[in-house]
Amino acid sequence: MSEAGLKDIQIPSGKTGSTKAYHDLRSFLATLEAEGQLVRVKDEVDPEEIGAAGRASANLKNGPAVLFEKVKGYANPVVTNVHGSWANHALMMGMDKDTPVKEQFLELSRRWDLYPVGPKRVTNAPVNENTVTENINIFDIISLYRINTYDSGCFLSKACIVSADPEDPTSYGKTNLGTYRMQVKGKDKLGIQALPFHDIGLQLSKAEALNQPVPIAICLGCDPITTFMASTPIRYDQSEYDYVGALNNGVPMEITKSATLGLEIPAGCEICIEGYIEPRLRECEGPFGEFPGSYSGARLQAVVRITAISYRTNPVFENLYLGIPWSEIDYLMALNTSVPLYKMLKDTFPEVQAVNAMYTHGIGVIVSTKVRFGGFGKAVAMRLLTTPHGMAYNKIIIVVDEYVDPFNLEQVMWAMTTRVDPDKDVSIIKNCPGMPLDPSSNPPGMHNKLIIDATTPKAPEVVSRETELLTPPAGTEKWEGIIAQLVKAARK
Amino acid sequence: MICPRCDTDKVELMAKSPVGNAWEMYICKTCTYSWRSTETPNKTDPKLYNAKFKIKPESIPSMLVIPPVPPLKG
Ligand SMILES: [Zn+2]
Repeated sequence: MSEAGLKDIQIPSGKTGSTKAYHDLRSFLATLEAEGQLVRVKDEVDPEEIGAAGRASANLKNGPAVLFEKVKGYANPVVTNVHGSWANHALMMGMDKDTPVKEQFLELSRRWDLYPVGPKRVTNAPVNENTVTENINIFDIISLYRINTYDSGCFLSKACIVSADPEDPTSYGKTNLGTYRMQVKGKDKLGIQALPFHDIGLQLSKAEALNQPVPIAICLGCDPITTFMASTPIRYDQSEYDYVGALNNGVPMEITKSATLGLEIPAGCEICIEGYIEPRLRECEGPFGEFPGSYSGARLQAVVRITAISYRTNPVFENLYLGIPWSEIDYLMALNTSVPLYKMLKDTFPEVQAVNAMYTHGIGVIVSTKVRFGGFGKAVAMRLLTTPHGMAYNKIIIVVDEYVDPFNLEQVMWAMTTRVDPDKDVSIIKNCPGMPLDPSSNPPGMHNKLIIDATTPKAPEVVSRETELLTPPAGTEKWEGIIAQLVKAARK
Repeated sequence: MICPRCDTDKVELMAKSPVGNAWEMYICKTCTYSWRSTETPNKTDPKLYNAKFKIKPESIPSMLVIPPVPPLKG
């Protein structure tokens, strides 16, 4: 590696409050820095301190992204906690950094319906500036580190993995983009967690039946919406790239051919690792500190052989910390879990106002809905439990009235404390599909479900007492303005 | 060298720091645990490695297989 890798990385200057779409990570980092949502660590750090810094930043309210310019023994910088706050999340969408979560949800939901927005194909992408195909050594290019103490090694926790159909590797329609954890097992070897219900699990199973390798491109440091989309649950026949264009408010995503395998990859990524999942091979992988806040066990999992690494000059390695919620992964998987569930529910129940499925990847969900008649809230919850994603992931469902903001937990607790009669409003549905990574799932993959209907009773349910809601006294809004001004003046 | 996690001696040098002689990384060929020479003893010393996370080599073949390997076609 050249000495250039040790110099300050140059990121272009960003525009404050712009609604632009980001085509790479660097332009987004520039915006974060301009908005006070990225800090640089200029002193050299030990690689194993980066996990701690990711944990620390996520502990802060509106914690920043942290860019490590010099990592001991390595040539290139590392950035963590890029998605790790609601401010950063809003900036990713080109919104004001103070935008409330419910507004971010509604905007994302609006953009969701712009699907499909096809990509723009570009050549000469910066990621193909440098390509190594011989004597591959991942450590030369990527500043790898252990995230949590008892992880079995260094992991890629935020990789956007492009996998192709083994029978038709250059087909756009059959290309899948997803995030799966990867353990570094050698200079040119990785482990991959391909769960059977993941898209890549389907592709692998199909290839392994024919004893064929699955070509993949592991893209690191993509633009923020692409990384966001890689961890969004959509149907197998839908295109993640066409969703990136939609979520960027109609601006097409830029894609390019990977250097050696010709897979269609995000053109803006910092690093692209190409290779194959070896067919019919399993090897010890894990444990790894996972999103439910505990370690997953060691299992026999699939293996990737690296055949090429391409990278922008002085590539930034983007990785995330995950641990006891909340950490960066909880921000990354919050609204992209909530919106698809909302769309599925809204399809059959237009009364539904919003869905907050951001507790441990949708294991806990709050639904806000209008109620047409008695039992309606419970019916909405049962519909959620029969959606493709909700069926396995959702375990605890709270239903609230349409005027309760499901993203405001104080309001949700108000609804629970004043609307729920535990005898009739709490239901347990036994022996349903569950999420195996949830440590309370027993056996792993099975669950009993809990529904709490915290909506106001309606006929024909017996309504024993009318509920007359308080409204803010006249002048409240005027006084909000006056008090805000006085507070501002007092702080000067 | 002994693997801190499974106590076997099938350990290989995985990488040396690309800049300077800052560290080496080792990997166990039995259990795939890897560590950096500069890490704290609870991650590098077989005697100090947390017992809850130790792995018995003989337990590896019977670990859960994810995803299952399908039968060969044709
Ligand atoms: Zn070992």
